[in-house]
Amino acid sequence: MKTIPPQCPEPETVKYWKSIDQLENAPEFNTWLEREFPDGASENKGDFNRRDFVKLMGASLSMAGIGVLGSGCRKPEQNIYPFAKLPDDYIHGKAKYYATAMPTRGSAMPLLVRSDDGRPTKVEGNPEYPDSNGGTDTFAQASVLSVYDPDRAQRFAIGGSDASRAKAFDALNELARNAAGKQGQGLAFLVERSSSPSLVRLAQATKQKLPQAKWFAYDAVDFDIHRQAASLGAGKSVTPYFRFDQAKAILSLDCDFIGSENDTYLHCRNFARGRGVKKAGDTMNRLYSVEPLMTQTGMSADHRLRVAGSQVIAVAAAIAAKLGVAVDASKFPLPAHVKPAWIEECAKDLAANKGTALVVAGYRQPFAVHLIANAINAALGANGKTVQFRETPDLGEGNIAQLAQALNGGQVETLVILGGNPGYTAPADLDWSTTQRKAKNVIRLGYYEDETFAATDIHIPAAHYLEAWGDARTADGTFVPVQPLIQPLFGGLSEIEVLAFFAGVEPSGYKIARETFGGDDEAWKKYLHDGFIAGTALKPIDVQFNPAALGQALAQASIGAPNKDQLEVIFTRDYKLDDGRWANNAWLMELPDPVTKMSWDNAIHISRKTAAELGLKNAQIVDVELNGRKVRGGVWVVPGQADYTLGLSLGFGREKGGRIANFNGAKTGFNFYPLRTTQTGNIAVGAKIAATSQTYSFACTQDHWSLEGRTIIREANLKDFNEHPDFAKKFDFPEPPGGNQSLYPNPLDWKRDATHQWGMAIDLSQCVGCNACTIACQSENNIPTVGKDQVRRGREMHWLRIDRYFSGNPELAKSHNALTPEQGQYLEEWIDDPQAVNQPMMCQHCEAAPCENVCPVNATVHDQEGLNLMVYNRCVGTRYCSNNCPWKVRRFNYFDYSKRPIENLYKPTTTFKVTKREDEWELLKLVKNPDVTVRMRGVMEKCTFCVQRIEAAKITTKVAAGQSAPKPVADGVIKTACQQVCPAEAIVFGNINDPKSAVSLLKASPRNYTTLEFLNTIPRLTYLARIRNPNPAMPDYYDMPLTAKAYFEKAGHHDAHEGAAGAGTNGVEKKGAH
Amino acid sequence: MAANLATPKLVDPPAGLEREPLVANQRSIGWISDAVSRIVEEKTPVWWWCAFIPSLIMLGALGAMLAYQITTGVGVWGNHHPEMWGWDIINFVWWIGIGHAGTLISAILFLLRQRWRTGVNRAAEAMTIFAVMCAGIFPAVHVGRVWYDYWLFPIPTNLNLWPQFRSPLMWDVFAVSTYFTVSALFWYIGLVPDLAVIRDRCKTRVRKMIYGIFSLGWSGSNRHWSNYEKCYLILAGVSTPLVLSVHSIVSLDFAVSQLPGWHTTIFPPYFVAGAIFSGFGMVLTLLIPLRSMMKLQDLITMRHIDLMCKVTLATGSIVGYAYTMEFFIAWYGGNPYEKFTFLNRAFGPFGWSYFIMFGCNVFVPQLFWFKRCRQSLVLVWILSILVNIGMWFERFVIVVTSLHRDFLPSSWGYYKPTWVDVTTFLGTFGLFFTMFLLFLRFLPMIAVSEVKAITPQADPHHPLGGAKGWHH
Repeated sequence: MKTIPPQCPEPETVKYWKSIDQLENAPEFNTWLEREFPDGASENKGDFNRRDFVKLMGASLSMAGIGVLGSGCRKPEQNIYPFAKLPDDYIHGKAKYYATAMPTRGSAMPLLVRSDDGRPTKVEGNPEYPDSNGGTDTFAQASVLSVYDPDRAQRFAIGGSDASRAKAFDALNELARNAAGKQGQGLAFLVERSSSPSLVRLAQATKQKLPQAKWFAYDAVDFDIHRQAASLGAGKSVTPYFRFDQAKAILSLDCDFIGSENDTYLHCRNFARGRGVKKAGDTMNRLYSVEPLMTQTGMSADHRLRVAGSQVIAVAAAIAAKLGVAVDASKFPLPAHVKPAWIEECAKDLAANKGTALVVAGYRQPFAVHLIANAINAALGANGKTVQFRETPDLGEGNIAQLAQALNGGQVETLVILGGNPGYTAPADLDWSTTQRKAKNVIRLGYYEDETFAATDIHIPAAHYLEAWGDARTADGTFVPVQPLIQPLFGGLSEIEVLAFFAGVEPSGYKIARETFGGDDEAWKKYLHDGFIAGTALKPIDVQFNPAALGQALAQASIGAPNKDQLEVIFTRDYKLDDGRWANNAWLMELPDPVTKMSWDNAIHISRKTAAELGLKNAQIVDVELNGRKVRGGVWVVPGQADYTLGLSLGFGREKGGRIANFNGAKTGFNFYPLRTTQTGNIAVGAKIAATSQTYSFACTQDHWSLEGRTIIREANLKDFNEHPDFAKKFDFPEPPGGNQSLYPNPLDWKRDATHQWGMAIDLSQCVGCNACTIACQSENNIPTVGKDQVRRGREMHWLRIDRYFSGNPELAKSHNALTPEQGQYLEEWIDDPQAVNQPMMCQHCEAAPCENVCPVNATVHDQEGLNLMVYNRCVGTRYCSNNCPWKVRRFNYFDYSKRPIENLYKPTTTFKVTKREDEWELLKLVKNPDVTVRMRGVMEKCTFCVQRIEAAKITTKVAAGQSAPKPVADGVIKTACQQVCPAEAIVFGNINDPKSAVSLLKASPRNYTTLEFLNTIPRLTYLARIRNPNPAMPDYYDMPLTAKAYFEKAGHHDAHEGAAGAGTNGVEKKGAH
Repeated sequence: MAANLATPKLVDPPAGLEREPLVANQRSIGWISDAVSRIVEEKTPVWWWCAFIPSLIMLGALGAMLAYQITTGVGVWGNHHPEMWGWDIINFVWWIGIGHAGTLISAILFLLRQRWRTGVNRAAEAMTIFAVMCAGIFPAVHVGRVWYDYWLFPIPTNLNLWPQFRSPLMWDVFAVSTYFTVSALFWYIGLVPDLAVIRDRCKTRVRKMIYGIFSLGWSGSNRHWSNYEKCYLILAGVSTPLVLSVHSIVSLDFAVSQLPGWHTTIFPPYFVAGAIFSGFGMVLTLLIPLRSMMKLQDLITMRHIDLMCKVTLATGSIVGYAYTMEFFIAWYGGNPYEKFTFLNRAFGPFGWSYFIMFGCNVFVPQLFWFKRCRQSLVLVWILSILVNIGMWFERFVIVVTSLHRDFLPSSWGYYKPTWVDVTTFLGTFGLFFTMFLLFLRFLPMIAVSEVKAITPQADPHHPLGGAKGWHH
């Protein structure tokens, strides 16, 4: 594939010389010697100065010890000039890894980041870190793309116009001096929640220096409530640390600890470890979930109770009362549809698991619910066991409403905004853009020139966490470094560097972090190398729950009663964009929502019944009015949502967000912030809906919800598994008489003696559908994004997708007709209280792959190690392979997605010259994995089992073996990108020739099964059937999972239970009668 | 002993059973030459221009659409995940199917001594060749990287790679290119004596030269005729298996896969029947108006039309049987995926297309059981168009409804074509009609020499035929 060389600008200087001497003395020559790129290299005429960029890139490259000879106005072959002098430890093409951490709100995720020639390309979890398995989440995975976001703030701006770095520094110093002169009088800081010890240190230093300065903290989605509630109960500032691995019975009170809470990478692991039963008789945890919206946690729950967000408190109080907590439950009457038996049996189960029970409340819920949860935990003896507390410094910041009051009162002369985007996220009643302007000087550290930008005086570009020095504390308090992998591309600063101006220290992130760390250089080196300091996890402290705090909170609490005319709105952290901070990240924007499978949009989530009562159709555009404020959005019926609630996810509909957030100049999705005020909080009752006649066009990657009784996902209850551990195989088709004989023997059978035979197993019991694998795969394999229009046409490129199905009570599902158009399912009753299942779906690497024999040009072939390979150069794009793939996991480059601007895909061209805007193109190229080909249009692509990682490991093993006999790659050395990122440890890859490898052990599990086994394609990817652990005493207990029920229903068995449980005896004959 | 036997007396069949002659109104041999050559020699009629100019514009649109698609990407079409094939393959199969009647008429009916073929074979063969040209465009340009199409041919290149002979798409390349070559050759050989007729009647030198070149020095000598007839017979023999093989192989594009709805052993015979069905439909659509406009009612008689209607009825019923049998097998086979696909075909989101298909292909031809229907030109013409529509929808049903909901409900989708799909398809009509109109204008649209051979005058046993008196 040919790369079009960049346009050659006119030379600016004399290019001719008479003699070598003249040339040598010419200043241009000297510059040329120093510069990375020669004169005439493409100079960017866009928003940012390419020269700066090149300088910084050059600096970062030389930092990594690499001098690079220039690339120029020629074909890109010039880039592969060899080094004149090879730096010592440089091995061409060999990536380096650095330990760092991604700061999150009040916590951090320890990471190991891959660097190729000085540019970070792939984020992994730090596997050395004791409280991690190397798993991360979608945000960490996608964060590397944001480094190369061409819409980042790329300049220092004073009064909205360009300013030099020095000038901005002068202005900051000036302000700091003035503030110091007044002891900080009139100075206010607005910060985001952070766990950084350096930040705490500098904040304290600043407080000492500027005692009059005021501190405020704001996060649109604030996880600090966990700390605040725990602190209320404990009487001192403590942060709870949930030990899901210790819990046998978990009750989630609207707490989406798998999906939208903090530290999900931990929770997934700890929760999932309690789900993957190995053999009959193994124990398994049980999850009860009480929630208004369908969440990832609800999708993983064994029992799910849907109640409105404002009524969760009633369930919480009722359960607490049953468990002997002093709560006056009568104040919070249970909603009519909640069966008392549910409460009773749930409480019984929790009580039966004293010491191993855990109750968690979600960040959306008010204090009272958190305190009830804390009280129950205390009553169940969970404290110190399933929930631990660690002391946390309380900075005692005010909230944003207080800041607005101060601003309006004229008490703030200088406002310093350290991160965050209050112009977009602040409560609507504060009218933030006007309020912010009331300060004389507004200094803002921002990653984008966004909604907050307009009302700032000094705008400082923020450095990405992969560009800046810093530190953080993880969930358990361990001290971790934030280590940069590249110099700030646009000279940005970090929070601590800006704060340094006011604290009166040198604004050098490195020095600050180093000083905070203290210690000697060896310790520092080890700290940076390991990415954490062992033993700094804060010791759990004993906490006595204070019932008075609960009483007080309950006295203030109230219960909502949403109905058709008084709807409840729930503002929620978006699974992809968080509070809007990732709105310009194309990977996240295009990622299908784990629940709705919606890409490039958010919607007003609504239940079937509510939509029917209000006469709303799916995708209809409506106006939601609450307290006189209005927002507009498209409705989307979501199975399992509480009636009379509206789920509004934040982060979309940006006014000024960048070329993804404002794709094609329009707002992507709907902005629900204008409805959210300081009064509403996260949940408010009293909204009304006014329908419009318009319909919105959503891009949903999976329209069809039902599994249609197919055996693609196989499930059983724990009880049935214990009785029939091999139940999964009973769902297989009966073998034809005479066995599975092949008319045409597999031509590769003779080659099956290679040392390595790769295979994968995915444990559906452990998979929580967190989506991290999809992004990890995208990052590892240079998968392009395609834009909403293409997603609507089903052309998204994800090699790995998470299939999500809902299954309903068969009594209700009887009316369900698979043949009716998709729209029909929105009206069907069975979706009201569904069970959900997830299944990561990617290339199955069939041994007898149906894609291979239909390719006319041999572009997809098998190798001796059992991989189904895709030869991009050879592909002409007949697409037959995709048509013949029963799993439909192949993706086709309908356009030049990697190269063309995705808003101009359809633009006709007579040449092939349409490329992305240069700034975008140049930057986005840097995120590519150099080990993986970037595919051009017209070729098919698909999961390769990360063949580049396999080959790298094989080479390493071979090199290590030297002259001795070739050795197989040790088990566990190769991790595919999806496996490595999976916090739930659901994906295992390895050599199935080795009977002791982890994957072989999994494949030997009785739960192991093959999807569509009757096609006899012999996939190398198999699944482990999902086990549910419902409580037989519960009123919503089903004697078998609903997917299994639907299967038996379909197969024509009315005594379905006997069929599933008794599958061991006569299941085969029964299934024979399809 | 033999002499004792009474000589059996030949009795003329009753008038009611007398076959209608294949050339009506007892036209003379000279009249036939005049009637056919006249079309080529007369001033271009106005209606021809009226048809030709729009065809040319549509052909231009085809060029523009293909240029757009090739430079921009296959994405300008509506096919997507999971229906990676859409109108491209539907149109390919449809056009190829249309191409079937010509060779069937010219080769198989020739071998079977069906004398009525002579009236229609030339135009039908021309239709075949142009239809195959239209068809060939789609597989060639529907691929992602058109510029590497040559990789599908077994060319020894420095890549040292061969195509994959297990792939039905590979077989397609051979089947279609062989079919096109042989059909074109067959057609041309048949044209030689007639080109000579035109040549001999030419009034201008240039014309004479051009027709002279293409008639290959035909003088009508015995030796020429003898060689010609042998050659024609051999080509007919070669073409005959091709009639069956091409569409069988096209059907294997589907049948070799394992997609429910495609993975069916009934496909090869069913596709061949369907192809003949649609081919005859198209022949009727073209010839009914042409015979009146060209005043050739005496050469393409009602008997011809009647016979073609009967072929249509027969093949339409075979197709109907296949549709029904597919359903039966889907139930009898016991595979729930298969069963679902067929129920979904008829009653799913694309059910409407299934009923258009079934109605047009199975019910509509049943009207041809009635002679009155076969004799009504207007009705036959309308029904023949319905047959073409039905057969297009058959391919739509096979391609789209099978793909749109297959094994995993997660990947189910709904197919919609884009304006580029539609314009490209219309553009192929531009190509087809441009070629066909040029054919009408410059080549004898009826096989003059062959028609002459089936006139009563050419039959020595006919009262009007032979050289009377010499024989007895």
